Amino acid sequence: MSEKFQYAIETEALGRSFQTYKKPEGLINSVKGLWNRETIEKVALQKTNLKIEPGKIIGLVGSNGAGKTTLLKLLSGLIAPTTGYAKVLGYEPFQRDPQFLRRISLLLGQKNQLWWDITPLDSYALLAKIYDLDEIKAAKRVQELAQILNCKHVLETQLRRLSLGERMKMEIIGSLLHEPDVLFLDEPTIGLDIVAQETIRHFLSAYVKNKGPTVILTSHYMDDIASLADRLLLISKGSLVYDGTVQGFVANAELIQTVTYKIVNQPEYKEEVKKADLNEFLVQLTQKGQIENIKIEETDFEDVIHSFLQKESRLL
Amino acid sequence: MSFTAFYKRNLGFYKLAIASNLEYRMNFFMDALLQPSITSIVEMVLWMAIFKGAQATTIGGFDQNSYLAYALWATFIARATVNWTYEFKMIEEIDQGSINGLLVRPMSYYEYYLSQLLGYKSITTGFSLLFPIGIILATGLPTQWDRFPAAMLLVFYYLFFVYSISFCIASLAFFFNKVQSLTVSKNLAMWLVTGELFPLDLMPDYLRKIFLMLPFSSGVYVPIGFLTGRIGWEFLWHGFASVTVGIIFFSALGAFLWQKGMRSYAGTGA
Amino acid sequence: MLAPVLKKYGSIFAAIAKASFIAEIEFRLNFVMKIINDIFWYAAQIFTFEVLFRHTNLIGDWNLQQTRVFLGVLFIVDAFYMTFIQENLDRFSEKVRKGELDLLLTKPVNSQFMITFARISVSCVGNLIIAVSWFVWSLSQLPDFNWMKGLWIILLVPTGFAVMYGIRFSIAAMAVVFVRVDSMQYVWYQLYRLGMRPDSIYMPWLKFILLTIIPVGLIASVPARAVLNPPELWVFAWSLIAGPLFVAFSAWFWKQCLLRYQSSSS
Repeated sequence: MSEKFQYAIETEALGRSFQTYKKPEGLINSVKGLWNRETIEKVALQKTNLKIEPGKIIGLVGSNGAGKTTLLKLLSGLIAPTTGYAKVLGYEPFQRDPQFLRRISLLLGQKNQLWWDITPLDSYALLAKIYDLDEIKAAKRVQELAQILNCKHVLETQLRRLSLGERMKMEIIGSLLHEPDVLFLDEPTIGLDIVAQETIRHFLSAYVKNKGPTVILTSHYMDDIASLADRLLLISKGSLVYDGTVQGFVANAELIQTVTYKIVNQPEYKEEVKKADLNEFLVQLTQKGQIENIKIEETDFEDVIHSFLQKESRLL
Repeated sequence: MSFTAFYKRNLGFYKLAIASNLEYRMNFFMDALLQPSITSIVEMVLWMAIFKGAQATTIGGFDQNSYLAYALWATFIARATVNWTYEFKMIEEIDQGSINGLLVRPMSYYEYYLSQLLGYKSITTGFSLLFPIGIILATGLPTQWDRFPAAMLLVFYYLFFVYSISFCIASLAFFFNKVQSLTVSKNLAMWLVTGELFPLDLMPDYLRKIFLMLPFSSGVYVPIGFLTGRIGWEFLWHGFASVTVGIIFFSALGAFLWQKGMRSYAGTGA
Repeated sequence: MLAPVLKKYGSIFAAIAKASFIAEIEFRLNFVMKIINDIFWYAAQIFTFEVLFRHTNLIGDWNLQQTRVFLGVLFIVDAFYMTFIQENLDRFSEKVRKGELDLLLTKPVNSQFMITFARISVSCVGNLIIAVSWFVWSLSQLPDFNWMKGLWIILLVPTGFAVMYGIRFSIAAMAVVFVRVDSMQYVWYQLYRLGMRPDSIYMPWLKFILLTIIPVGLIASVPARAVLNPPELWVFAWSLIAGPLFVAFSAWFWKQCLLRYQSSSS
């Protein structure tokens, strides 16, 4: 039975660093490298504090190498923390208690977890055994989920014969089969076409509203985050730099708005104006002449994130 | 966790291995039948040449037919107890990080691959043994059929020993890259000590005593020597005992390496 | 006309050798293990015959000292195979499956050359040293050995190697047509096993096949016989022809396979 916690996920000073070594250049140094290697310590995640309530969808965003995948792996029990601790559903993930594992699910967008050489139905039957589910209920669930995702017709085709989009749908069904309380989604829509992405987004949104799992979602597609996430976590160089709502982020970030205007007897101009300066700009504009047409575009969430990430990588 | 749940999912893994391997029929046929058949024929030809050159009717107390039977069985049984495919798979999964998909599930990595190995070996060995059985029945080469179940039981038990070593080597993939080369090494070394190349009792006394003490001799020499009448029951019991010691030793080592490996695991590749 | 071509492929070869060495030495364990693995393999062959000869004086046509020489030849050819060919051709079917062949076919170099010499296993040079040492030692153990006979090796080992390459490459080339054929590798290994024993142990009809149609006997048995027995000039002449013949066949076969190649989609 799933117990009610105040927080589904809680971390305190959770951090992880790795040891790597310097790869020397050239032939002679390569030979020296046989017995002599210089190690460097790299901090993948700085000490992080988090409190996440059950039933929420958390969007985890950051550039590659920022630490978001490390956070995901720490929370799902794949790797051990080097500092601090995490508690997910009251368990310490790294202990990998089977009861804990039964209640979580990990979906990796770029990897297949279902078995390659057999049909999805056979994979689900095997998963039902692994998670100790009632076989009949599990089979029914498969049909329900496949119905919503519109992929019933490929359930009996071997996984290796399916297209990327179909495989992803199968993986989603596989990850939801045991009705997890916590769902870790790592790039679930990567490589899919627009239609498939939208289908999956709608599906996830409806599923969470219906069943209420806690979801941690990482994605490079801002549409995923913007349309699904209740809360946004932004990670940069291993530190959490923003923890709040998507709207809050958009509002606080330095926004550039695009103003397209046409003054009588003059060609159309397009200018970028900082939100803070918008009022003054408009005042100046009205003094230039009679405005025939004006359009002010709100900055896209995607652009905000991109400019944020660009700034961050320039500093790296 | 109940026993039925444990049993159900491991039976699932066992069947998974059978289904996955039968999927590639050509490979299965080559692996199970063609390869060992050709090898055993070459080995039998070698023994015929040895006897011709020796110009004697017995070598080490046994006649040519006894050696032909030994060479025939040895090839097939050696294949039954060597772990290439699944050891490589285990190493690759740890190397590539695909193990992530398995670690988040409520099952142990150890049982996942053990059950698959048993499934794979059951189907391949079951099928391939038809060849030596057929030849022996047709030619009447020395084989004591009443000893067959006991010999096969030792072979099956030995497979657990082989797996416990595989698990240790796979765990090393947490620390080193390209651990597959260790697999090759280990399998080559085992080739020498199991008695696949020749019956171990042909060796000089001092070597023979050492080889027979080790659990590796139960891979080929003990069960096949027993089956073809070279050695008796006391060797079989000793085989079971030494393999048990081997399983305990390597399982403990494997558990230790795995724990250490998981601690240092970086999870890359997911 | 020939010089610039040789120069081009020579410099590609040198670049591959250097890159291979740097890449290989990166994986320290692997580097060391490869050498150890071959030592185990040599040990298995040697050990088997040493034990068997305790119970007989003659296997096939040869005694222990002569069989040791045979093994020496086998080891030398094997060392060359392991250094230049083995890894590249064993990995070939995987490369085809991953679609990497397409990248190669669009480059202005001979594709067979690039596939064959994609990587050089520099660590196997150690094996070559061991193999040659064993060979020389085993020759020195022969009573009244004429060292001039050793010159036959210089002629016959390369041609034997060429035959080995021709057969091996042709088998690997089939991966282009039958994509799921890892098992073909096993066919090769079985053929090689036949050549791993002195051909005098085989029945006459089999021995004939192993010298002509599937001439794995040319790999080790024939060069060893050149050193140990009186010369059989017909067989040697055939070996000198067979080498280039099998390589040419493999080139032709490769082109045929490419005609039927359907590059795999992602």
